Amino acid sequence: MVKFYFRALVGIIFLLTPERSFLQNSDAPKSLGNTYFIKNCFVVQKPGIVLSGQNVLIKDGFISDISPSSKPPFDAQIIQADSMYVYAGFIDGFSNIGISKPESKDRPKLPDPGNPPNDLAGITPQNSSLDSYKSSDKSVSDMRSAGFVISNVAPRGLMLPGQCNLILLGDESADKLLVKAKTGQTFQLESNRGIYPATIIGVMAKFREIYKNASFAGNHEAKYKANPSGLMRPDFSRELMAMYPVTTQKMPLFFVAQKTKDVHKALSLKEELGFDLILTEVKQGWHYIDKIKKTNTRVLLSLDLPEIEKKKAKSETAKDSLSTKKDSVSTKELEKVEKNPEKEAFDVKKEQSIKEYLSQAALFEKQGILFGFSFLNVKPSDIKNNIRTLIENGLSEDAALAALTTNPAQILGINNVSGTVEKGKIANLIITDKPYFNEKSAVKYTFVDGRKYEYQEKKKQENKPTEAGKFIGTWTYTVEVPGSVQKGKMVITKSAGEYMIKVFDNSSPGEEDVANNISVNENSVTFNIIADMGQPVKVDFDLKFAEKAYSGSVSVGEFGTFPIKGEYESEPKLF
Amino acid sequence: MKANPNYFNQILKIRMMNRIIFILILCTSTLAIGQNVLIKNGTVLTVTKGTLAETDVLITNGKIAQIAKNIRKEANYSEIDATGLYVMPGIIDAHSHIALDVVNEATSPVTAEVNVGDALNPLDVSIYRALAGGVTISHAMHGSANAIGGQCKTIKHRFGEINPDNLRMQGAPRTIKFALGENPIRTHGEGSKIVPNTRMGVEQVFRNAFSDAKIYAKEWDDYKNGLRKSSPEYNLRHETISDILKGNILIHCHSYRADEILMLMRVLKDFGVSKVCFQHVNEGFKVAPELAAFGASASVFSDWWAYKFEVYYSTAYNAAILTRNGVVTSINSDSDELIRHLYHEAAKTQRYGDLSDDEALALITINPAKQLGIEKMAGSIDVGKDGDIAIFKGHPLSVYAIPQMTLVDGAIRFDINKDPDDMRLDINPSEKFSSFYETEKSQENNGCLQDVSEMLMQESYAKYMRFRYSKNHSH
Repeated sequence: MVKFYFRALVGIIFLLTPERSFLQNSDAPKSLGNTYFIKNCFVVQKPGIVLSGQNVLIKDGFISDISPSSKPPFDAQIIQADSMYVYAGFIDGFSNIGISKPESKDRPKLPDPGNPPNDLAGITPQNSSLDSYKSSDKSVSDMRSAGFVISNVAPRGLMLPGQCNLILLGDESADKLLVKAKTGQTFQLESNRGIYPATIIGVMAKFREIYKNASFAGNHEAKYKANPSGLMRPDFSRELMAMYPVTTQKMPLFFVAQKTKDVHKALSLKEELGFDLILTEVKQGWHYIDKIKKTNTRVLLSLDLPEIEKKKAKSETAKDSLSTKKDSVSTKELEKVEKNPEKEAFDVKKEQSIKEYLSQAALFEKQGILFGFSFLNVKPSDIKNNIRTLIENGLSEDAALAALTTNPAQILGINNVSGTVEKGKIANLIITDKPYFNEKSAVKYTFVDGRKYEYQEKKKQENKPTEAGKFIGTWTYTVEVPGSVQKGKMVITKSAGEYMIKVFDNSSPGEEDVANNISVNENSVTFNIIADMGQPVKVDFDLKFAEKAYSGSVSVGEFGTFPIKGEYESEPKLF
Repeated sequence: MKANPNYFNQILKIRMMNRIIFILILCTSTLAIGQNVLIKNGTVLTVTKGTLAETDVLITNGKIAQIAKNIRKEANYSEIDATGLYVMPGIIDAHSHIALDVVNEATSPVTAEVNVGDALNPLDVSIYRALAGGVTISHAMHGSANAIGGQCKTIKHRFGEINPDNLRMQGAPRTIKFALGENPIRTHGEGSKIVPNTRMGVEQVFRNAFSDAKIYAKEWDDYKNGLRKSSPEYNLRHETISDILKGNILIHCHSYRADEILMLMRVLKDFGVSKVCFQHVNEGFKVAPELAAFGASASVFSDWWAYKFEVYYSTAYNAAILTRNGVVTSINSDSDELIRHLYHEAAKTQRYGDLSDDEALALITINPAKQLGIEKMAGSIDVGKDGDIAIFKGHPLSVYAIPQMTLVDGAIRFDINKDPDDMRLDINPSEKFSSFYETEKSQENNGCLQDVSEMLMQESYAKYMRFRYSKNHSH
């Protein structure tokens, strides 16, 4: 009895001292035990099966019992989950979670760009994501708070970056949280320009050559092992031996194939060479559904969805709040004034195209293809909204849940230990206050490997007037890009509780970029702008503010991440 | 008369519906690539067997089945009335870079192993524009950055297909791009400071590559004959070059100067290769008899020169002189703009060289077909050949010619009376509305040296340039 109260007291102290959790760089206080009793909840056992009024017992990292009338053991921590929903923790089919983006480096100057060393050419299938994965990376906790418990982590790199591993999204080192090692090899149609192979035709030719040579090397090794007498000792190549299991279909190949031509390349290569293909990060794959069905190819769809521009609302507010520009009449204004029938026709076509992208998942469901999701270029905080967009465009909730749980479990071969809320499986669960697909639902708890992570609701920033004031004003910015330095100004204002940020580049006077998706959290501000570089490019800003200065990073589409810093200049001024 | 906005909006809506319907029709036409059609009562320019007035052409399952007067139309055939119009074989462009996402793998002077067929882009609207110029087949080529470039693909302009495989011309022989002169020298010698940096360097690149391939082929023969227990390393580059030496891949060589043309013929003779088609070959008129004696063919511009120093000595009579000396000559475009009026380019040989109608038309039909090894399937209106037809108002060699309809395998892929404004098959969700001129690439970025300038730039700037000038890119 005393023991229990003592434990509860210590627990309360831990919960009430936020510095503690800050130190551990995670949302979980040190657990005092590993037995949990989730009381009186709805259990979504698998897509389509919801059990009400259940109690779930988690013990030693496993789901020990699910029943309506059980009593909690004496040492269990009780979680009052009345009318909350328990789902199987979500499984990420393929991503680079936990692996930070490398700094942008300029291409090295090689004496013979046609014969580069394998690592510069991006040919490193012997690498493993375990080498570069860090559970302390912010992306891991972000995914966890989005409801994900397991990630199939692939290394970052170019055409053959290396082997993927299935890792539980906990705090400990990857080796302790490994669910399945070497789930597959990765193949991407990426290259280092200026070094062979520099283009997709080079990448395709090189891949075929590596594949063939891997097959020969492996066979030679096997022959030599069986009977070495008289045979030449095989040259050992790490790259080829790492690719060999793909050629014998013992290891699948995760082929990142985003657009329709990429999917075609993947399916053609599979037909030509015979490997076990898993189509990954598919954005535009619906032209090949028949072939996918015929060959039983496994598919991971992308959640990096195109946005339908809500331009009209924005342009109105921009007109109201901005004072008139004196000299420069930009082409944008001219377009606004005249009605442009060609542009309107184009907008119709573009919206049609976006609709096709958004209804892809529904189409795959209709055709009976069981798919998972991959998460290469989507922020964890956008995942739920994007899934809701897919549901609005025809995907059923059951199929969406399957794509997050049972389907990836099957694709990755772990459906006997994860993917559903069933007795005996690993305790990977999430608890939401409302059904997950509701707009206002929030993840309250995530259990990874039986360890509890709790999430409080974020308080709105309006309650802290002193902090809000510190962002408002005109700030300078300096961005260092290889080869040049970009300077400009940023104006941050606030009206009706909403922040507004405008970015002015010194090299294009008279033009401004309005920020979207502004998110303010204590000292950090993140937002993105759509910059015009001939084509629209999404530029993500991640800034940390101090008293009169800030610093952070800017991600320019796929070109890389660059440091940015700036200082406070004055009250908000308009240009 | 005041313009009524509602009226225009309605017209626009109708046009949009037409466009959507037309594109849907194009897309669903993937079901049947070969069609049944009867072209009635046109002036048929067969090119190889004279001109037939008021004659019908019957196409069954995409192949020409009959050429005669008053052919009876069967039930499941569509009909095209060609009264007063000229019916000629679909134009063939022997040097083009349209429908490709990548043109140059410019990182090594020898890249025989790469194949532009891996980068086919059926969504390129340039295919449609070429169809509007009567062109039904083009030779999608690797660029001229490398002495031995990549393999090329002969494609049919089946615009409307989404699957890149449906652009390939089945049965067309393998071809590969070679390049002589300043382009490989600038790219590798000046750019990376490696061989070749001179014309004699270019010659050595060929000799070395061929010799290495011969050694490689011997190693594999020894292994297959049991003289070696373990297999040699598989090298796709050497494999491809030994296929060239066996005569299984046709060489198309970018060249300008007479001295280097003679050089290549000497090298090929030394290694036993007998077939070659020279491209551009602006100084071909200087060595026409030698080309004819070797059996080499030539694919030239009608009147494009002086853009580089090696293209200084040229003449508009080039095609005519080569033809008169017995060299199989064609006229090509090497440009997504020029491909739209190859019929006018061919007509120039009548002013500069006095070629006859059939001789001039042969330059853009049966001759490029021979150079691509597809003369049994295309290049003239003959029974058994593919139903690739271009229908003109006005004789194609007349300055008043306007293409009306273009058929590929009997399917109408261009019709001037059903020509919506925006024929793009695929709109990128992040694409911005912009005029043609904003997105059009510069000349260098659109021809033989595409993708090369980036190789010589800083990585970040190169990425930006590629992004800035990409069309239908994978983003």
